[in-house]
Amino acid sequence: MLKKEKSPPEIAENAPVTVAALEAVFEGCYDFESRDLHIGGDPSNKARLCFLDGLVSGSDVAEQVIRPLTDPERFAGVRGSQAIARLLGGSVYVYTAKCRETLGDLASDLLNGFCALIFDAERRAVTFEVKSPQRRGVDAPKEEKVVKGAKDAFVETMKINTTLVRRKLRNPHLKIKEFPLGQRARTSATLVYIDGFTNPELVAEASRRLEKIEVEGALTSAVIEENIVDRHRSPFPQVISTERTDKFCMNLLEGRVGMLVDGLPLGFLVPGTFSQFMKVPEDHSGHFIVASALTLLRYLSVALTLLAPAFYVAVAMYHQEMIPTRLLQSMIEAHASVPFPTAVEVVLMLLAFELLQEAGIRLPSPIGETVSIIGALIVGQSAVEASVVSPVVVVVVALAGIAGYTMPNIDMGSALRLCRFLLVLAAIFLGMFGVAMGCALIVYHLSSLESFGVPYMSPFAGSEGRHQSRALLRKSMTVKRDREPELKTGDGGEAKL
Amino acid sequence: MGKVDGITQRQLTVLIFVSLLSPMIRILPTSAVVFAGRAAWLAPLPAFLLGRLLLAAMDAFGKNVPEGAGLADMTELALGGGLGRAFNVLTALWLTFYAGFVCRSAAERLLATVYPNGSPAVFIVVMLLVAVAVGAGSTKALSRTAEVLMPILVGVLAAVLLSALPDVSAERLLPVTLQDGKRVLYGSLPVFNVLAGFVYFLYLGGRVRKKPGARPRRFPWLAGLTAVALGVTFFTLGTIGEHLAVSMENAFFIVIRNIKVFGVVERVEAVVVAVWVVTDFIFVAALLMIVSEIWRTVTGAKKRAAFAAPTGVLAGAAAFFIAEGVFDFQKWSDVLIPAINLSFALVLIPLVCAVGKLRKKY
Amino acid sequence: MKKTLVLTLALTLALTGCSKGLTIFSNYRRIENIELVRAFTADTQGDGVLVSIYGTAGEQNDARMVEKSGPSLGTAMGELLMMPLGREAILSHTENLLIGEDMARQRLNECLDYVERYSETRLDIGLLIVRGSTARDLLKGLSGSDPSAADVIAGLANHIARVGEGAVFTCREVAVSLLENGVALIQCVRGVEEEKLFDARGDLNLEPDGFAVVTEDGQTLEFLTGEETLGCLLLLSRLEAKDLDLAVGDTVATVSVEELKTAWEPVFDGDGALTKIKVRVTAGAKLVSLRGVADVTKKSWREAAERALSETLRAAAQAAVARSQTLGLDFLDLHGITARKHPMKLEAMGRDWSDIFPTLPVEVEVEGALRRTFDIMDSPEIAEKEEMTPWEKLTESLKDN
Repeated sequence: MLKKEKSPPEIAENAPVTVAALEAVFEGCYDFESRDLHIGGDPSNKARLCFLDGLVSGSDVAEQVIRPLTDPERFAGVRGSQAIARLLGGSVYVYTAKCRETLGDLASDLLNGFCALIFDAERRAVTFEVKSPQRRGVDAPKEEKVVKGAKDAFVETMKINTTLVRRKLRNPHLKIKEFPLGQRARTSATLVYIDGFTNPELVAEASRRLEKIEVEGALTSAVIEENIVDRHRSPFPQVISTERTDKFCMNLLEGRVGMLVDGLPLGFLVPGTFSQFMKVPEDHSGHFIVASALTLLRYLSVALTLLAPAFYVAVAMYHQEMIPTRLLQSMIEAHASVPFPTAVEVVLMLLAFELLQEAGIRLPSPIGETVSIIGALIVGQSAVEASVVSPVVVVVVALAGIAGYTMPNIDMGSALRLCRFLLVLAAIFLGMFGVAMGCALIVYHLSSLESFGVPYMSPFAGSEGRHQSRALLRKSMTVKRDREPELKTGDGGEAKL
Repeated sequence: MGKVDGITQRQLTVLIFVSLLSPMIRILPTSAVVFAGRAAWLAPLPAFLLGRLLLAAMDAFGKNVPEGAGLADMTELALGGGLGRAFNVLTALWLTFYAGFVCRSAAERLLATVYPNGSPAVFIVVMLLVAVAVGAGSTKALSRTAEVLMPILVGVLAAVLLSALPDVSAERLLPVTLQDGKRVLYGSLPVFNVLAGFVYFLYLGGRVRKKPGARPRRFPWLAGLTAVALGVTFFTLGTIGEHLAVSMENAFFIVIRNIKVFGVVERVEAVVVAVWVVTDFIFVAALLMIVSEIWRTVTGAKKRAAFAAPTGVLAGAAAFFIAEGVFDFQKWSDVLIPAINLSFALVLIPLVCAVGKLRKKY
Repeated sequence: MKKTLVLTLALTLALTGCSKGLTIFSNYRRIENIELVRAFTADTQGDGVLVSIYGTAGEQNDARMVEKSGPSLGTAMGELLMMPLGREAILSHTENLLIGEDMARQRLNECLDYVERYSETRLDIGLLIVRGSTARDLLKGLSGSDPSAADVIAGLANHIARVGEGAVFTCREVAVSLLENGVALIQCVRGVEEEKLFDARGDLNLEPDGFAVVTEDGQTLEFLTGEETLGCLLLLSRLEAKDLDLAVGDTVATVSVEELKTAWEPVFDGDGALTKIKVRVTAGAKLVSLRGVADVTKKSWREAAERALSETLRAAAQAAVARSQTLGLDFLDLHGITARKHPMKLEAMGRDWSDIFPTLPVEVEVEGALRRTFDIMDSPEIAEKEEMTPWEKLTESLKDN
């Protein structure tokens, strides 16, 4: 977080609106366009049109602003404040028109895709929203695969995102409050909640935390995530982030508060608890028994990804009595030609796995796929054949890796990967005792986390023993379910979700 | 939001349950079998009744205690400032020593079962360091940890006991006659000794927050612990008989040693021993937290975190120097610790509370 | 921050070898250096003990036998486990322990104590006594064989139980029995011809040789005959299956006894004295093969077969009881049975069991039932009868039955 700086001296936020002042603000900017317009076709009656090329739609400016403004029948003899009044009254065919009296607001409008008509004498300007249609279209989510559900994902444009949300929640009580973020970038962020339903204390706290953010610009998700969470040092995610609009809206309907940031194709939701990161919207698309089984599988995957390598290391190094006789015999035989001790093997394999993963993410698609295949072949097959590692280690590490990929949330998966390494180290130096103490510490850390006042391990902890099955199983849609009591929603009762 | 370190009654009772699993597995079944022979599997039942009585008594004493006041505050109210503080200090010193003993006990169990070559030092050091870090933290974090781990511990125990079922033979559990009644009562004393340990957790009573208007929920920890005691004794006795059980230091873990799980895992002993280390760790962390809370009350400090580290150091000293080898350690484990524990948990602390009640201090 | 430092310190202390006691690396074994001991033997050698282990390290042709002698089992084993070239034998996967007859006679408790006390060994290690030779010779003879010696011994243990020639008791069962009853049974094996374990071709020549009866003080080592062993298996409900040849008239029927139920009933008189113990054994069998001519569908034949079965089993059970009483050793645990059924009455009697037991009448009643056969068919002689109509055949068979 940056220290609060004073405004740059060259932009006086509250300075009066003049063409010269605006031109001074955007001096040197090649995309700043400025031209005089003759109102009503009268050369003696001028106003200055300014805009940032690229942010505005040229055709809209021409058709909707310039054409009616220069029409003698509409604006003949109309000057100054009268002209401003007519412009604001709808004589120009643009659905958003604002009157600006300060330089800061005027500059902000231009940066948000508005064009401005400046009346120097009046020290006022009228700005019209004529945003360029050049933006990424709504597409299917890339990071969160959709099997059976809506395939519209958030995009970088705030207005489109809010539109997508409004289309799903046609509720007049759905509030979208704007917050500017970033002293230099002036990114627009919004708080989304259902008034009268979402806990007002939660809304107030979320607003307060958003307002407290002091950064240069909100261009990455970490700006939001790390600044609004209770414990930013924890690697475990405490804010739900999603590309999917259906997931976003479902969580709003459960009583969470959402956030959208202009420029980020993500929606953020708070509070985020561990059980939430185990859920996917597909759970509500498929049969409830199948969905419940898959949820349980995910929890099993958490255990596998965390514990499989550590368990193997502890057992192979210190507790060989646990291995069945035949398996132990084949392990002894397989290990006979491997030069490295078990600990080194496992750590090497885990590192190799992480390297492969990172390479696969960074490289462009075609190359990335090839590298992944080659890496798998080299690491998997060749390493075993060259007796660099034993086959059991490859199986264990691969199993742990695949189990980690079943995590619906990538941040949760990353946190678990980190913990996996730590548990392996604990197993190397302390055996099963180390694994147990490591697990206890991880559980303690998770139990100590809170997300906006809600225990992170809810409903497994801090819920008075109630509603635990809700985290693991999904009831049929025909059965009324209680809302999460920790969210303290306005109706507070049963609801069909 | 959520800055208050308050817990609910249910969380406190879950913490009690998980913590007392640690001494339970230490004393059972051997201590009960010494007195009750093959009828020892019945010993937890009278212990439950005795525990119920003690619980009712402590409930009655604490009924009108203001919210935010724990047992340390009650002691100072009951006995007055000077004497109350002195008693609190004595209790703190005993619990510090007990924490060290529990640490050492866990280390000795690890050496006897899955780490035969080595010294208890590494286990004591690691466990205490982690316990200090946790003990200095918030009560709600520790109790939530217990809430999360409790179903896992119970699940592992239940699975292990069920796996041992085919080896249980009625011939080793029967006959039990009315004549065994007195022996069963004597055998219930070690079990009751463990159950009475709940009294120490009342020092954290000041952290319990009650929701106005709501009836407090409790976890049935007493019934749960009794069931665990019953299960452990029943299965151990049923598998290896009374004579072998008495001669073994960790009879329950010897039984587990022979369990195979579908041919996938040969001996689950290492896993179960490691899982039980978690209960030891939670118990030690809770004891350090309780002692810190007592010192906070005695000194009038605002926060208790600063007391955790010195308490940990003292507990570590106790763990290292309590005994040189397992034979001396057994004397502490079998005789001295139970005697002191009963004195505090059954006699002194309830007596102090009773004095406070009689003097109408609360 | 402080917590992080504390935890880092904890881990560092565990990591460094700065103090010998602060690591657990003394428990570390490199997996490739491990030799699995699936069977080991113990024999007396002079005043000491000779221990042999059969270790495998992966491939069976890597299997080897190593032996060591020492003044005690513990010292011999201690040296043996630390094998040459940095290898280490582990006993956690040991399935069977074979001991020589002399070892059983003189130092059985030492063997049991070692298994109970050592943290690696499981209590469910099977115990076998090798008669007529040393256990070490058996292991030596099997070394290098295919399948491995350990597999052969494990297979033998299974075989003994499956053919009803005995039962391999585990160290736990033997230890518990010795502690509770002062006596235990242990399975024996012996070379078939002239005490030799292997024939001229080097093939294993071993057969189960019934039970040995041992006492807690180690003073007694008696051996039961085949019939007595069968009786023990019946009365202890340890019989898995047993093929018996029964003389039924002119035929010899081979039956397989598979279902067994044993019910005990101690009988007390009006004065509270134990007068006798009744035991009722219900045995279900199936007909395996028939030598001679018989119509197995005839009820009369089946009843005769069942009588023969009952008598055979009754004799075996009675023989076991008689031997137990003759030796004065309650290896059938009649005391335990009586105590479980009538604990108050037994306690009220006030007499020592060792006084009552040797002369206590034990009535054995066996009800054998031939439940099924692989296929019901007439003997060839019946099939040669003149043709009958189906109606006549049916009425004829109904008349017979």
